[in-house]
This record gives sequence, structure tokens and C-alpha cells, in this order.
Amino acid sequence: MGVGLKRLLMGGAVAAMATGALAQDRPQIIVVNQALELMAEALVGEAADVVFPVPEGVDPSFWRPSISDISEIQGADLILLNGAGFATWIDRVTLPRARVVNTSAALEDQFIVTQSITHSHGEGEEHSHEGLASYLWLDPTLAVAQADAIAAALVLRGIAEAEDLETALDAFTADLTALDAQTATALEGAGDVQIIATHPRYEYFARRYGLNIASLEWDAGAMPTDAELDGLAAMAADTGATVLIWEATPPAEAFAATEGLGLANVVFDPLAFNSDAGSYVDAVGRAVDDLANALN
Amino acid sequence: MNALYLAYAYLRYNWARSLVLVLVAALIMFVPVATQTLLSTSERALVARGEATPLLLGARGSQLDLTMAALYFGEERPEPVAMAEVEAIWDSGLGVPIPVHTAFSSGGFRIVGTTLDYFDFRDLGIAQGRGLSVLGDAVIGASVAQALGKGVGDALVSSPENLFDLDGVYPLEMPIVGVLAPTNTPDDEAIFVDIKTAWVIQGIGHGHEDVVTANDVANGTAALANAAVVQYQRITEDNIDSFHFHGSQDGFPTSAVVVVPNDTRAATILKGRYLDGNGPTQLIEPAGVIQGLVDRIFRIKALLDVVTTIIAIAALAAIGLAVFLSYRLRAKEIATAVKLGARKGMVLRLLSAETITLLLLSALLAGLGAMVVSRNAEAWVGWLLALGT
Repeated sequence: MGVGLKRLLMGGAVAAMATGALAQDRPQIIVVNQALELMAEALVGEAADVVFPVPEGVDPSFWRPSISDISEIQGADLILLNGAGFATWIDRVTLPRARVVNTSAALEDQFIVTQSITHSHGEGEEHSHEGLASYLWLDPTLAVAQADAIAAALVLRGIAEAEDLETALDAFTADLTALDAQTATALEGAGDVQIIATHPRYEYFARRYGLNIASLEWDAGAMPTDAELDGLAAMAADTGATVLIWEATPPAEAFAATEGLGLANVVFDPLAFNSDAGSYVDAVGRAVDDLANALN
Repeated sequence: MNALYLAYAYLRYNWARSLVLVLVAALIMFVPVATQTLLSTSERALVARGEATPLLLGARGSQLDLTMAALYFGEERPEPVAMAEVEAIWDSGLGVPIPVHTAFSSGGFRIVGTTLDYFDFRDLGIAQGRGLSVLGDAVIGASVAQALGKGVGDALVSSPENLFDLDGVYPLEMPIVGVLAPTNTPDDEAIFVDIKTAWVIQGIGHGHEDVVTANDVANGTAALANAAVVQYQRITEDNIDSFHFHGSQDGFPTSAVVVVPNDTRAATILKGRYLDGNGPTQLIEPAGVIQGLVDRIFRIKALLDVVTTIIAIAALAAIGLAVFLSYRLRAKEIATAVKLGARKGMVLRLLSAETITLLLLSALLAGLGAMVVSRNAEAWVGWLLALGT
């Protein structure tokens, strides 16, 4: 059997015996957003290097990898995709399918259809694209399902010991189950309050906890323009919203401007961008506490 | 006096006749050996491609067409199968499916849309440049590079498949980013692209139009790779982000799917799933299809063996006659030798030495020829087989 064929059948994996070897010998796992990075790290521990190649400040949905980035991604032992239309660059890059895992493949019946974009090419006929909300990991129950898919892929490719993975997955699931329960309690009855988000990121979170979240299309962490603030004021007046969720901390003047519109500001990192968010449970837990305080 | 020395002196004196005899005898020995070597190498090469491809999934229909299209990138056009079939095999966990999309061509060579797994599967190495990275990239086989005189940095334009295509799908210009190391297989004759690029050529995926027009060409703002084509689309850094695909990838087409089962048990289970004769797809063992084809083709080998034997017998008879006649012509010479005191045994040794020397020289020549054929058989057979695709 040729080397290439072996690599193919092994899904490019290094055997579990690689666990505990030198860092440079460890299998490499590429992820397409920070949530998957945090999940993979929680599961795999020291058995593999988890790499989120998107630079800080770049939206991972619209990142364009360089040829050297693509080369690194192609050489990885496992490539974890989010699915649900997240990271459109994967449609324009050549990836080794045998080493690619779509972590939401089993969740398609739970996807949220957001919009239908109609356009045409040149003189061609108009056609439509269905949009999907892609930040499904903000629903902890879906995040657990994604973690299950990651664990299965790690076992299949022999990247980590099955027993270690089972222990790590049980712990991660328990943490997220507890977080889910705490969030449900903290946000109980919050469905009566209208919330505005600076970007459409929280569809799955809102569905899970019965929240009403309307969305703007602001750049993450940027100072909104006067026109954007006018739009926010109009939306707040229309909906009676009292809370504004930011996906990244904006300049202090932005907070002051929105507070002037009668909105309580909450920063809720959706764990997509490359940042120092800590663990999944810590990051989402903090945001839920802040949101609960703002709603109260 | 040494009989060998006298034989050598005689042969040298009659060098023209000796040379003809040596060449004829060498050819008689060389031709059957060379034919056998080339035929057995051809058989091995043909069967090896089939044996190196465990299973092949495709639309129900001619197994030979499916095999020729997916393994040898021939002109056959099997009905496409949906990518959902690929996903079904992934989901089964029984093997690795590798789609092969061979519906298009460029410069007389097939464009093979596939995934990176194909390169791992066939152990294909890059001799120049890099592998496939982004939509539109093309990696060409060694023979394509040689035949078209193209390399890294050049570009290819897909051939329009239908002159009456009114859907507005233009041929695609593809930059060559790599050249494969030669393998003496049909992979040398292929232009490899990501299967997503093949879908762009097919019009399933497209971006904001960036069509290079005849005016661009006339104004010198575009290099035309194929004079017959005046309009084609090009994927650039500026427009690549606009490229997208319509519908679910599960419904997208591929010509065939190479399936690499995890083990014999997985292969058996997979084969069992496609036994229904009324199903739209079939899972075949290409080795069996190729072996059947080779068996048919090589029936002619038996005929060839008979012809070779008859010719060899006729040629040997001709040589025997030539030797006999030469002995008759040398009757006076032999009589003189006897009168000078040479015994019959001595005369016999002399004639035997001449004949053996001729045969040894012929065998040496035939052996050298056979060695050359044997050493180059794979390359020559690869080239000969490629001529037929």
C-alpha cells in the first residue's frame, strides 16, 4: 500500500501513539472559528495542536487565506468546519476532503433560514440564494452536538485516545448543560423585552432562550456613523428596545451615544473572531450575566 | 591451427555475408522476445491501473465506458452521478470516495475535476510549482506540459462543449500552478482542477462576470490561449470572492467516484449496497472490467505467437539453406584443406566454429536489443497507451 493511500485511509491522522510527543510532532487541527477552537482544545488537550489561522480583527466568515495559509491548512491532520454557510472561503479553496469534518452535518434540520438574496449575473436571469444563520454554537445544546462530532472525528483519525476523549467530552457536555440551565434561569421571561444586536449573530441563542433580538449590520467594534445611529434610534423607537448587544467592545463614545438613546449596552463576544475569550463557558457565561443585568 | 582463429578469419574475409547472417539470426531471436516483453508490459500496465482502483461508483450503464472515463480519462461520457452518492459513502464510514469529473477538456486533454484526496490516492507528486489551492487553479500532467509546451505561469482555456450553448456559460481560463512528475499512467495526460472549478466550467458556480472579450484581445489587454475562443471567464483576485454555487452540493454532478474501501469487509458491504439492478448507480471493480477487456485484446496475442513461430521457422530454414549453400560453394576450398592434410574432424570443427561464432554474435546482439526494450518497456508502453486516449 502506497504512502499516499495509507495517509488517505488514515484520514491523514497520526496514530494515537503520537500523543505526548514533542509539540512539533503533534497532529495539527485547523478550525474556522474561535468557538470550534475552544471546543477542540477542551477535548483534545495536549494530544494535538489546535490552530485557528484567521488573524485577529479579521471576520473569519469572509477571510481570504493566502497560498501559504492554504498550504498549511491542506497539510493539517484534521480540518473542522462549522457548516451552515460559515466561512465562505472554503468554497473557493481546495481542501483534502478526507481530512475535513463538517461539525454541523447532523444539525441541518435545526438551521435557521435567515433571508433569500435575489440577484443576477450579467444579463442572466435573476436567481435567489437562501441565507442561513451560522452562529449555531451560541445555543449550548447545538455546541454539544458539534463537540460530539469533533470527538467522533478525533477518535476516527486516532488523534486522541478514546478514553481520554470520552472523559473530556463528558466534562465539556456537563459544563455546557449547566451553562444552558443557568442561562435559561437568568433569561427567564426576557422574551418580553426587545433587544437589538449590532450584527445578526445571535439567532440560535435567541431561539434557545425565547429572546426577541432585532439586528443591525454594524462593523464589529467600530464607532457607528451618524447614519447608523439614526437607524438605531428609529429601530429602538419602533420596537421599544432597551438593550443593545455589541459583538465587540466599541470606543467609549459609542457607548455614550447609545446610552443617550436609552439603551443599555452589553458586549457579547460571539466567539467567532480570534481573541482572548477564555473558555467557551466563561465567555458565554459572562455575556449572559451582563445581559441578564441589563434586562433587569 | 586454432579452428576458432580460422573461423574468425573466414567470417572477417566474407564480412558482408557474415553481417547479413548475424543480423537475420539476431532479428529472429529479438522479435519474439521484444514482442513478448512489450505485450506483457502492456497487459501489466492496463491491468495495474484497474487493480490500483479498488472500486468505482457511477451511473448504471456501460461498465467499460465508466471505467475508461474515470481511469483512462477517455472520450466516453457516462451519465453523471450526484455528489450525494459521495456523501453517502462518507457517511457509511466504509471507505474514502474520490469524485472524478471528466466532462470537459482543453487543448485535446481531459480536464479532471477532483479533490486533493486523488493526489494522495495515486501518489502523484508535483515536479514544478505547487498543488491546487484556489478555485480556477490547474495542475497538468507531464505529457500535457510537454505536448502543449506549457508550464507554471501559463494558462489553459477550457474548450466550449456545445457551440449552441445559450446559457451564457463561457469557457474558463485556468492558470497552471503546477506540473506533475511523470508516472507513465493516464495521469500524465490529464489537466487536474478542483471539482469546484469543473462546476464553474459547467456553469453551476459563477461569479460576477469578468469575461475577457474579443475587444480585450484586440486591444492587447488579454492573452488569448486558444485562437478559436474569443470570450471566456477568468477567476481573478478581484472577483474570486464573488464566485458562488447554486443549490445544495449534494445535487452537483460528477462523472464517477473512485471508492477506496477501508478493508475487504467494507468493500463487500459496499458492493452489496449497489446490487439492485434497478438502482440508478452501480459499484464496479475496474480490475475485472479491464481484465475482461485485456483478455479480449490479447486473444490476438495467441495469433501473433503462431505467426511469429511460423516466421521464425521460415527464417531458420532460410539461414540453414544459406549455410548449406555456402558449404556447397566452399566444396573446393574444403577439398583443398583435406588435400593439405586436414582430417574430416578438423573440417567439421572449422565449420562448427564458424556457425557457433555467428550464432553467438547474433545472440549477443539480440540480447542487447532485448535489454534495451526491457528497460524502456514501461515508458514506451505508457506512451503507446496514451496515444489511444
